[in-house]
Amino acid sequence: MNTQYKLLNDPFLYLFIFFSIFPFIPILGKHISLGTEVLIWFLYALSFNLLLGYTGLPSFGHGAFYGVGSYVTALIYLRFVGNSRNIFLPLLASILVVGILSYFIGFVIRNKRGIYFALLTVAFSQVLYIIAFKWTEVTGGELGITRLFRGQFLGINLESSIRYYYFVLLIAFLGSIAIRKITLSPFGKVLQSLKQNETRVQYLGYDSAKYCCYVMTISGTFAGLCGGLYCMLYSSVFADNMHWIKSGDVVIATLLGGGMTNFYGPIVGSSIFILAREILSSVWDNWVLLYGFAFVLIILFMPTGLLGIFGKMKEKKHFEQFNNNKNR
Amino acid sequence: MNISTILILLFNGVLLGFIYSVVSIGFSLVLGIGQVINFAHGLLFAFGAHIFWYISPTIGYWPAFVITPLIVGGLGFLIEKLVITRVYGQDPLFGLLVTLGISLAGAELIRMIWGKLTKTVSTPVFAVGQVHLVNIIYPRYRVILAVISLLIILFVWWLIIRSNFGTIVKAGMTDSEMISALGHNLPVLRNRVFVMGSILAGVAGIVAAPLWGVKSEMGNDILMLAFIIALMGGLGSIKGTVIAGLVIGIISSLGVLFIPRMVEAVPFILLIVVLFYKPKGLYGELTILGEVTAREK
Repeated sequence: MNTQYKLLNDPFLYLFIFFSIFPFIPILGKHISLGTEVLIWFLYALSFNLLLGYTGLPSFGHGAFYGVGSYVTALIYLRFVGNSRNIFLPLLASILVVGILSYFIGFVIRNKRGIYFALLTVAFSQVLYIIAFKWTEVTGGELGITRLFRGQFLGINLESSIRYYYFVLLIAFLGSIAIRKITLSPFGKVLQSLKQNETRVQYLGYDSAKYCCYVMTISGTFAGLCGGLYCMLYSSVFADNMHWIKSGDVVIATLLGGGMTNFYGPIVGSSIFILAREILSSVWDNWVLLYGFAFVLIILFMPTGLLGIFGKMKEKKHFEQFNNNKNR
Repeated sequence: MNISTILILLFNGVLLGFIYSVVSIGFSLVLGIGQVINFAHGLLFAFGAHIFWYISPTIGYWPAFVITPLIVGGLGFLIEKLVITRVYGQDPLFGLLVTLGISLAGAELIRMIWGKLTKTVSTPVFAVGQVHLVNIIYPRYRVILAVISLLIILFVWWLIIRSNFGTIVKAGMTDSEMISALGHNLPVLRNRVFVMGSILAGVAGIVAAPLWGVKSEMGNDILMLAFIIALMGGLGSIKGTVIAGLVIGIISSLGVLFIPRMVEAVPFILLIVVLFYKPKGLYGELTILGEVTAREK
């Protein structure tokens, strides 16, 4: 298979083209910040899917990494950046700090599986949430941190929202391609086999705990970067994003699109999730009602998600159905 | 910080502990028999409080006290029949997500019907006034609420430990296939336990309504606590659940004196500790939902 053929069959190419011309599409293009949010979520959900869809680790505390990423970016921005308004250092700091944090949490819970893993991630994220919510001197508590005006990224001016959109587009695609590389690498294959049969992977000589710790670090780091990008998008940070209910949103978005069976599922899911949220909430105040019911129906009747319906999956041999992992 | 402040906080903590225990016992039983992590439990709690707030002014305190749990039980029956029966025997994450969806939708339904504002339940006439306990003055209503919750806990304890029904439920927790082989109708049993859990959540909602105010988010707040307490106490152990409930209640109440800001984080830290060092809980014989770690198998 030659390179050209590969490129033309790559969904990322079409996604990239679509998102590149997005600002120029007549009606949708008006909502640049919405588009930016979709891009951020796209990377966030893909990184989350490394845990849920690939390794089979149900993390319910991913919002904590996202939130800590936002706070670190905001705090570094306020303390160290000053008049240059360069967001390079804050974003770098968010990657480093969240990387260390997620490595630490991943290390602590590397041996836990299934529902125990989910509970521990909830517990850690709630502790972080309460710290963010109550430590008013540093995090601003309930009021959050506002007035974070982005200026430039190493000399590239990002003040206008369209420039920031393309900046996020670039980061989101580089990040997504990196995540895809990871899933296709030998490391990614080990992760997928961990989901199917951990005991056998251990007999093959892999240290499964180490792999879980590493995937947690990778996934958390990307989430931290997304949090940083998000806080620079809306110039503010609030603790709400760290609550476990909000962490449920990314789980929902991932499952909605079919992250359990398809690499591109989270992209579909998070786009639909963000758009539905914006459209429904502008039409009807109580849109969460529909959202909750839709979620129940999706879980009950199409556990493989939207992309799962279409059946033909690129890497379906490596996945099992969502509810079929009792032998783990 | 004098002794009477501490005593008042201690009594508040005990009352809180009783409420937590009532909620957690229902949660724990459903988790034990159905292997379903019921995130809709907090919703049923919130529904109990709202329905009670809504109907008690018209039909009086005690009739509302009887009718509300029945309505919540009926709601639990519907949820179980329509949704949760479909997830029995599947991955626990499945049940968790489905019930999370139900609780999101239900909380929104509460906001739709009864509005977003926090509502207060006034003290009924017979409970106005104070009681002298040791050397402090304590509201009579709170004492009554504590006694009611204690009676409920004792009744459930009797039901599970001493009655025939309870024996079957406990057997069902250990080996559900075996009890169906012995001729007991497992779907009906699960349904009854779920309805019982819903009724308990509804009652706890009634008891908590005058203390915390009635709002749609009250379910989310107590859900995680119920989860923590059920885990700490040990699955299916009433004694363990009550002890864990009292511990969490007293810590959250007295903790305000020592760490006023971080008191809400304490239950989660306890959860981490329990999951690491005592995954079976204080008095539990079973770990929830099978294996704990990758290696212990």
